[in-house]
Amino acid sequence: MDAAFWIVQALNALQLSMLLFLLSVGLTIVFGLMHFINLAHGALYALGAFVAVSAAGFTGSTWAAFAAAPLAVATVGVLLYLLLIRRLRSAGPMNQVLVTFGLIFVFLDLFRMIWGDIALGLPEPEVLAGQTGLFGVVYPTYRLFIILLGLAVMAVLALVLARTPIGAMIRAGVDNDRMAACLGIDVDRLFFLVFCVGCALAGLAGAVAAPVLSVTTDMGTGILIPTLVVVVVGGLGSLKGAVAGSLLTGFVQTFGAVIAPQLAAIAIYAMLAAVLILRPAGLFPARA
Amino acid sequence: MLEIAELAAGYGETQVLHGLSLTVPAGRVLALLGRNGAGKTTTLRAVMGLVPARGGSIRLDGRPLAGLPPHAIARLGIGYVPETRDIFPSLTVRENLELAARRFARPGAAWTMERVLALFPALAGRLGTGGGQLSGGEQQMLAIARALLMNPLLLLLDEPTEGLAPIVVQQIHDKLAELKAEGLTMLLVEQNFGFAVSLADEVAMLGRGAVVWSGSPDAARADGEAQARWLGV
Ligand SMILES: Nc1ncnc2c1ncn2[C@@H]1O[C@H](COP(=O)(O)OP(=O)(O)O)[C@@H](O)[C@H]1O
Ligand SMILES: [Mg+2]
Repeated sequence: MDAAFWIVQALNALQLSMLLFLLSVGLTIVFGLMHFINLAHGALYALGAFVAVSAAGFTGSTWAAFAAAPLAVATVGVLLYLLLIRRLRSAGPMNQVLVTFGLIFVFLDLFRMIWGDIALGLPEPEVLAGQTGLFGVVYPTYRLFIILLGLAVMAVLALVLARTPIGAMIRAGVDNDRMAACLGIDVDRLFFLVFCVGCALAGLAGAVAAPVLSVTTDMGTGILIPTLVVVVVGGLGSLKGAVAGSLLTGFVQTFGAVIAPQLAAIAIYAMLAAVLILRPAGLFPARA
Repeated sequence: MLEIAELAAGYGETQVLHGLSLTVPAGRVLALLGRNGAGKTTTLRAVMGLVPARGGSIRLDGRPLAGLPPHAIARLGIGYVPETRDIFPSLTVRENLELAARRFARPGAAWTMERVLALFPALAGRLGTGGGQLSGGEQQMLAIARALLMNPLLLLLDEPTEGLAPIVVQQIHDKLAELKAEGLTMLLVEQNFGFAVSLADEVAMLGRGAVVWSGSPDAARADGEAQARWLGV
């Protein structure tokens, strides 16, 4: 195995990390604000992929599909919030876990009813077809696009959180939601906003993943565990944690599968255990 | 301005306040004194809506506050300086201030960023510092400055001198005296008897979850028995 092989693996790892980032960032900040965890977040990722497949079929454009998926998933997020999650806010963590866990199965059945059990595919946009030479290797252009998209979202979120009034409100709410409320900030509304952005990003992740994976009803359940690992390893509530956790999980999962295929299934759990032993609150928790 | 009548409040099973009544008239400073654990902080939390009132009423200029969420109560004009100061560590000093300033700035408002920095010059040089890196005194000043930027009708202060060096206590005293001279209405919770009484227009002592003594600062100073009984001075 030569250098080119490892470079390709590193790029694969980076691509997985970016998908994990898009999924985990909304989850972790929502948790930081409200101590609410939505286990159906993976199902929203799958929903994004399915909506993208249908939208592409309807419009003939993968780009239109990439726009439709986050919008549709955010809309579903609004409905989920208004019908269910708002009422769960004061119901305690056990009820939240049970209800959002139950939602996973509701979504699974809905996917089966609407899109069937056969794996679907989404063509990549034509301009991104083919391969690109990079660092002396040739790599699928579309996968580079996923990496760049993830980096762009990271940069935008970092800027919004660090530099804008709404970013300061979110950081304040994560630090101390009660004090933020005492300054006149409606933390519930802030939570709603972040929740919807998180849903949209999950939908986007599903849509951009669709051309490289096959779109199946259970694709959300498969990604849920690595996403939760990212949130816990990174430390709850912080963007920096989501970035670090995604990279660590993406690389450990990818390189684990290459270096020790027989141990691949447990690599990220071993990493999770190691991080929690060294840093029980994760790498960059929002509340120290 | 603030009227609390027969307030009952507590945490879970334990009731802390049993029929507490007090009034803070507009433009006056009421000092609320009492032993550790008497329920002073709980009283302020109930006013802010952080602890639900189980009975009685809390009114601001006649308007009932019961059932309103804390952010709505804050917007009605109550600035809260909590016992733990609650500076946001992820925000710089400037961001901590702007968080309040942005929401409550109005043309002609009494408090602007410039004015609070003139009142607390120590903060002016620390605007870029992280909220987690301040000394206790700086945190207290920032918490007061932040509350002032809400341009409140009423300021709630929970033990502003707790844990501070005597020289800083003196500074805080002078600043609060300036605010009092401007006519700002304040409910000042304290364990530091001398500090509180020298600022107050009226004094109330809290015991067994209710107001057990009230009177003028002079009467409070003179009543050694009440001090010993309710404050353990
Ligand atoms: N968050 C809480 N949960 C349960 N009990 C509390 C809480 N905060 C305060 N208490 C209890 O309520 C009583 C009054 O506390 P507090 O209002 O903080 O008193 P003070 O501010 O006068 O020292 C005390 O017995 C205290 O132990
Ligand atoms: Mg107290």
